[in-house]
Amino acid sequence: MIYGAGVDVGSTQTKAVVMDENRKVLGQAIIPTGANVIKAAEKAFPIAVKAAGLHPQDIAYVVGTGYGRYKVTFGQSQITEISCHARGAHFLFPGTRTVLDMGGQDTKAIRIGPAGDVIDFSMNDKCAAGTGRFLAAAAEAAGLGLDEIGPISLKGTRPVKLTTVCTVFVESDILSYLVQGKKIEDILSGVHKAIATRTLSLAARVGVDPEITFTGGVSRNVGMVQALEERLGLKINISPDAHLAGAIGAALFAVEKAAALTL
Amino acid sequence: MSGKLEAALARCRELTEDMSFASVRSHKEKTGDGAIGYFPVYSPLELYHAAGYLPVAIHGGGNQIEITAADSRFGSFICSVVKSTMELGMKGHLDVLDGMVFHDICDSARNLAWLFERNFKNKLFMEYFHLPQKPDDAAAAAFLAGEYERIYTKLAALRGRRPDLDALRKSIGLYNINRDLHRRLYKLRSERPQDVPTAELSLLTRAGGVLPVEEHNVMLADCLAGFEARGNKHRDGIRVVVEGSFCEQPPIELLELLDAVGCFAVDDDLLIGRRWFDEDLPVTGNPFAALAEAYMKSPVPSSVRHNPGVPRTEALVERVRRHKAQAVLFIYAKFCEPGLFDYVLFKDVLEREGIPHLLIEFEEKMWTFDKARMELETFVESQLFAYD
Amino acid sequence: MTDTPSEKPKAAGHAHYQGRMHALQKELITRWYKDLHGVWLRQQASDAVPLPGPGAAGAVPLMISGNCVELLQAFDLLPVYPEINALQLAIRKKALEYLLKAEDMGYSTDNCGYVKADMAFYLEGAETAQGTRIPKPSLILNNFVGCNTYIKWFEHLAHFTKAPLFTLDIPFLQGEEPDAGQVKYVADQLKDLITKLEKVSGRKFDIDRLREILKLSARSEELWSAIKATAKNSPSPYEAFFDATTMMGPLYVSRGTPEGVRFFEEALHEMEEKVRLGVGAVAKERFRVVVEAPPPYPYFKAFRDLFNTWGACSVASTYSCVGGTFEFGFRHDPRDPLNSIARHMLVHNVCNRNYIQRYDQILRYIKEWNADALIIHSVKSCRLFSAGHGDMREFFTSKGIPTLYVESDLEDPRYYSPAQMRNRFDAFFEALEHKKYSGKEMKV
Repeated sequence: MIYGAGVDVGSTQTKAVVMDENRKVLGQAIIPTGANVIKAAEKAFPIAVKAAGLHPQDIAYVVGTGYGRYKVTFGQSQITEISCHARGAHFLFPGTRTVLDMGGQDTKAIRIGPAGDVIDFSMNDKCAAGTGRFLAAAAEAAGLGLDEIGPISLKGTRPVKLTTVCTVFVESDILSYLVQGKKIEDILSGVHKAIATRTLSLAARVGVDPEITFTGGVSRNVGMVQALEERLGLKINISPDAHLAGAIGAALFAVEKAAALTL
Repeated sequence: MSGKLEAALARCRELTEDMSFASVRSHKEKTGDGAIGYFPVYSPLELYHAAGYLPVAIHGGGNQIEITAADSRFGSFICSVVKSTMELGMKGHLDVLDGMVFHDICDSARNLAWLFERNFKNKLFMEYFHLPQKPDDAAAAAFLAGEYERIYTKLAALRGRRPDLDALRKSIGLYNINRDLHRRLYKLRSERPQDVPTAELSLLTRAGGVLPVEEHNVMLADCLAGFEARGNKHRDGIRVVVEGSFCEQPPIELLELLDAVGCFAVDDDLLIGRRWFDEDLPVTGNPFAALAEAYMKSPVPSSVRHNPGVPRTEALVERVRRHKAQAVLFIYAKFCEPGLFDYVLFKDVLEREGIPHLLIEFEEKMWTFDKARMELETFVESQLFAYD
Repeated sequence: MTDTPSEKPKAAGHAHYQGRMHALQKELITRWYKDLHGVWLRQQASDAVPLPGPGAAGAVPLMISGNCVELLQAFDLLPVYPEINALQLAIRKKALEYLLKAEDMGYSTDNCGYVKADMAFYLEGAETAQGTRIPKPSLILNNFVGCNTYIKWFEHLAHFTKAPLFTLDIPFLQGEEPDAGQVKYVADQLKDLITKLEKVSGRKFDIDRLREILKLSARSEELWSAIKATAKNSPSPYEAFFDATTMMGPLYVSRGTPEGVRFFEEALHEMEEKVRLGVGAVAKERFRVVVEAPPPYPYFKAFRDLFNTWGACSVASTYSCVGGTFEFGFRHDPRDPLNSIARHMLVHNVCNRNYIQRYDQILRYIKEWNADALIIHSVKSCRLFSAGHGDMREFFTSKGIPTLYVESDLEDPRYYSPAQMRNRFDAFFEALEHKKYSGKEMKV
């Protein structure tokens, strides 16, 4: 049996997945990345290996991904998180053709082929408009926790119109709606709709084909899921393992590379 | 040989980063020449050279200067090169020049010219000329020849010179050599991209923005020999045509990234103005007419030139085919109106032709390249990986 | 959020002047849209017999800046102004929908919103808010008068509609006067254009007809200048920025027609009546301002309210000079048709004049129209206007002229922050009020 592993070093969490040549996930690990990126990768990997009931020397190939992919010094190669997320989302939902990945600082739209290959992708520019950071700024202006705003937004019946998705202006816009006496759920509903519009506009650049799989931290926000579905007129795939998609994709690349080497 | 190449490239980097323009100052002291700054994209350097000036490319401050003053003159949605050029003027970096020459490549650049006129007229003269947007029109070529004659006569008079058409023909000859050497370097790069990295080629072209053409010609010839002598081994990667950085220049670090991730440029439009003609210009006859007609007839496509007879879209597809490239990489300056507009038509035609493409935006003062690296790597991966 | 009442209820809720001129304007513009729709209908029916009258020969998009609409009219061709398509979408709050469609096509968020909205509008069938259609171009007249972005606009229009493109290359004005060579260069191109228009329209060029049209244009221009001059009165009967947009449609579409002349006669008559009665354009004129650059069309009313609240009346504006700087004396000349059209394009419109000439123009406004302040509305879309606005503010401030600089956009509602904008205006006018009405004199 050939084993491969994927290590996804993200800015907040480091994830590792161990897989066999039949593409069965045998073990996984999730730890905070912290300040030392190399250490995080070195720590996550053995935890996943142990969970798989294996030893590090059993793993034929390791692929590093995520922003710290070049710090996975024990890995044999590095592949970007876009390629890995595409593979991972395809693994979780084989019918996936479009991946929406919303994280704290960036939002990505990836169009993929039937084998999980990247056909096209687009990212937000360096401005944080329309990303998780925008939601955080909105939550702060509303005096709520980040986890609370999604469920509250679902109660909105008359969403307000937001003129801007600028992270800097959103606070003054929200305050001014509050002063006008608008309901918080209507304001938050408007916020989620504004981001959904922005996200789908990014996605339109690569073309949106169903099925659509939603990954990244923001995929846990039910308000965002609903706003996207409303705007798309489609159901979207959500998985509790969505945050592992990058590591799963990297592990898939790893077992394939290992198999190719042993041929 | 290779030592000479490395030394030349190191010198180019130094010249490119030197925003005090020390080499220009010492050239003036040594020769008694004047110095004229010119703004991208295309400028008729022969005129300045023959009138007794060192032509100096002014295309912003790169990542070498802080923008502290120019932000008060331009809004938040104006591109870096316009702002940083203003900053250079406001901070006295351009005092080494006698004057600046502008023309209308875009609305922001045109307004910049008049801000120069207002703010710096006590120390720099400002000249402005009109490049006709009407190709294949004899009257337009005649009009441009008139513009050139007006500029040249005025510039020569400022140096106390009478018009000397032979001197001008000689200048055309020198720039013919310069363009020919560029063409040869680009040809070699298309054949052996692993031996001629884009960042190095770009540094070499950029150095031509401050060096006297005579000296730059020697440098280009030496480096051409140096590159030819290299025999780097083939690396995995993809061949791309780079389009979009005709005016504001991307940070060298961004260009270095291309080679690092296996995205090999086999053609580009970086500082395309230096390579505007793909044939030598005549060194006989009326030089103003020669320069003007060559400009009007030049087949080089550019986002700042209207040429419906030769659509830029089709020209880009042709460049991809001619250079056997697999994809197009657009590298646009943030807020670049002409470039970003053209992207839409390019995209339309590339998708019709099934040619993959990627767009990267940059600003002069870009210091981190993680996002660009990830996008470039993913792009290369998406072209290279075969799936079951 | 846009129509939040002011927290300082000074003069808010002021109803704007609606005279017979406004009804006439509506009539003229409705008629133009109907005529364009007629062209569209004929395009739908391939066997249609061309009818006489305006637009009988088709429709031609051109740029407002230094437009040569008289030449089109002489060939029974109707003008299409893509800027007007775009601003109509914005003022009717439909711009964002089209902007997003354009961005889906690959247009950058940083590209001119006018172009983006108009391109999406064309590609979506070009149906106006009134339900009429804008026809396919018979020819695209790329009159390059100052605005480089327009070249792109027309290239894109040609790319997607496959219509033929004709370029007029107008050299940018450097000094006060172009040299004779430049006028000839442009006039010669106009001759080529005439040949082209003969082909497109199937009509012979008749110079006497052009002279008649130019005569009417000159009359409209005379009246328009007189209307602008009424704003020198205090209170000004005329709102030279917001209400100027009422005049601009007829100026660009109908100035060379008897109906156009009638409109301007009526408008001047109404303004003169208001002067006689001492009625101002704003309820109680407390400040007189000059406005630089276009308005934020998506927030037109809200923006106008910011002025009204403070009793601020625009007495002059540069935006109203995109089609021509007629208030300084230029008139089309029926005795010298082509040269005068060439001079209009080269010299007498705000877009082909350099940035410093714009400073001089504003200075004249401030002096001759006796204004208290300058308001610069820096629009992201239009760099022709806005690249350098910071320098402009610096120039006027250093001359002791109170200057307000605000940023937003003429098409894209996403760049307008109502709360911020109100703060800026209120703070500015509070200071100006203190300066003007606390005994301190302003030096101009």
